[in-house]
Amino acid sequence: MDRDAFLGRIRARVGAVGRTDVPAALPRTMVSGDGRMTERFAAELDAVGGECRRTAASGLTEAVASVASGLTTAVVQNDLGAYREDVVTGLRDAGCRALDADREAAATADLGITSALLGVASTGSVLLSSASGPRPTGLLPPAHLVILDEDAIVPGFEELMTELGRLAREASHLVLITGPSRTSDIEMTTVRGVHGPERVIVLVVG
Amino acid sequence: MTPQRSTFAERAAQQIATPSVGRAIAHAMDVRAGRTAHVFDGADLPTMRAAAAAIRDHTLASLPEYLERFAANAESRGTSVFLAADSEEATGYIRRLVRERGAGSIVKGKSMVTEEIDLNAALAADGIEVVETDLGEYIVQLAGERPAHITVPAVHRSRGEIRELFERVHGVSLPDDAEALTHFARGVLRERFLVADVGITGVNFAVAETGSLVVVENEGNVRMSASLPRVHVAVMGIERIVPSFRELAVLLPLLTGSATGQRVTGAVNVISGPRGSETDGPEELHVVIVDNGRSAILGTELAPVLRCIRCGACQNVCPVFRQVGGHAYGGVYGGPIGAVLTPLLEGIDDLPHASSLCAACTQACPVEIPLHEQLLALRRRYARERAGLGERLAFRLWGWAWSSPRRYAWTARLGRIAQLPLARHGRIRRAPFPFSRWTDARDLPPLAARSFRERWRSGGGS
Repeated sequence: MDRDAFLGRIRARVGAVGRTDVPAALPRTMVSGDGRMTERFAAELDAVGGECRRTAASGLTEAVASVASGLTTAVVQNDLGAYREDVVTGLRDAGCRALDADREAAATADLGITSALLGVASTGSVLLSSASGPRPTGLLPPAHLVILDEDAIVPGFEELMTELGRLAREASHLVLITGPSRTSDIEMTTVRGVHGPERVIVLVVG
Repeated sequence: MTPQRSTFAERAAQQIATPSVGRAIAHAMDVRAGRTAHVFDGADLPTMRAAAAAIRDHTLASLPEYLERFAANAESRGTSVFLAADSEEATGYIRRLVRERGAGSIVKGKSMVTEEIDLNAALAADGIEVVETDLGEYIVQLAGERPAHITVPAVHRSRGEIRELFERVHGVSLPDDAEALTHFARGVLRERFLVADVGITGVNFAVAETGSLVVVENEGNVRMSASLPRVHVAVMGIERIVPSFRELAVLLPLLTGSATGQRVTGAVNVISGPRGSETDGPEELHVVIVDNGRSAILGTELAPVLRCIRCGACQNVCPVFRQVGGHAYGGVYGGPIGAVLTPLLEGIDDLPHASSLCAACTQACPVEIPLHEQLLALRRRYARERAGLGERLAFRLWGWAWSSPRRYAWTARLGRIAQLPLARHGRIRRAPFPFSRWTDARDLPPLAARSFRERWRSGGGS
């Protein structure tokens, strides 16, 4: 339908409706921050079936090697900044082959490794960005390792939403990940690893 | 949708005659009740709900402005926005797009509005197969059914039935186990994701300030559908709009908490355009905004129904839904929200009677839609438009009789005599027309030998 006609029809209906304002102050919710940061992030992620591990920057190689131990291949997002070298070294130490991130590699790899723009303490969530590298890296492999800077953890959803208002302008697809892919569609039984990763491990570096 | 010839009562009777349906739904509703019980701990839920209702009302009152802003911001990022007045325009646009792009394979995420416009059937008419990728939707698609619940589409099916379905369709042998069945479906659908030309998804919120789409999910199929195919088509009703991300700090946890008892779902997608200069992702993003009868509800006493965020909380608490399931409602939306929306959008007008008016739905609604009052309003509308002269006269007579204490007492005395041949063992199971309309499906307790007033006057005792 012609845009003016479409909107005109709606305009004619709402014409008589009194305008109201959005509340100036919005109430706190169960996903608001409470001051606790990394400790809460880890607890909340654990509660939804994810895994949180903490390391100092100097221990990154070892931490990655421990996650990759026993795995054959891993796709690694290019844009891991200063951490990329340590990540690749960690994979090598574990005997896990590092592959450049593309769709074909991701479709067969055992592990995908990506960065995250931020973490949310109140829910144990991480925010991935399509601007940081190919989307299949954190999606197709059965396990997803997220490298998260401890400084990038925000307290709760209010702070997350402020960030999204800005970040949505800089990437075509942001996705807030909270634990592994899961479903309860068959008799309400929770099963992990439906279409996305069965394991989500967040390595908090700080 | 094809017009429904049967009545709600007939469809409900059919569902009740299949006891496995009732058992499966009751089980699911009980599990859901357990999961949602504590999800809002730490929040002041009434305040959250009041704020959410205010946000929704504000947005609806300024809908044309917000739709314009959304479209302008989305288009500035390279998204194509199409405004569809009705189902035909919406499906017509998508059919044309699919044809022009030469798409042969389509994957789809869960979306109620695409059920409403009957998109799969429209594409099937062109020989295009759409594969539902949400596990529950995939199950009902294989079974040739519609979703029986907003958030749990295959709620009416046991895992044994699902195993038999998968075995029959795919010619395999599977164990009777939810995990094995889920992982089998993962394997089948993974192949489809990797070859699909077009991905279709719904939308939970459309953010006007940035032209972004917010889509919640747990399985990862929306991420797949919006990431892997060359073209992404997102379909939404006009009322999905929110002004900015700020409001989602309340609306998003209210949706996920009410829908699945989760503080946040496994994934929340924020889609703001096609890939642009990024190395992968869809080359094209099309947003189809569907009116299909919604604008006619604006400005009426029923307008608050457009606050709905499609959480399904009203279905979970409804005693009628628990007995009959979503299919009895005959439309796309079942339960109390369906009993209000379906008459308005699809014209099935006997649904407002599918309620005991217990108001559990109104209490459960996270955006404060007065559902039971709306059902009453629709019953009034139904009575005005559909009730015959005899029925009107009978109710007027009844109203006249019971508006005076003396006449009321007199009808009770008359009733006590009239019921003499009908009452057996303290129940009335059968009565002549028009009372048979009641006793066909329900028993009636007989009137007591003496009324409360009579006992009171005679100083108590029986």
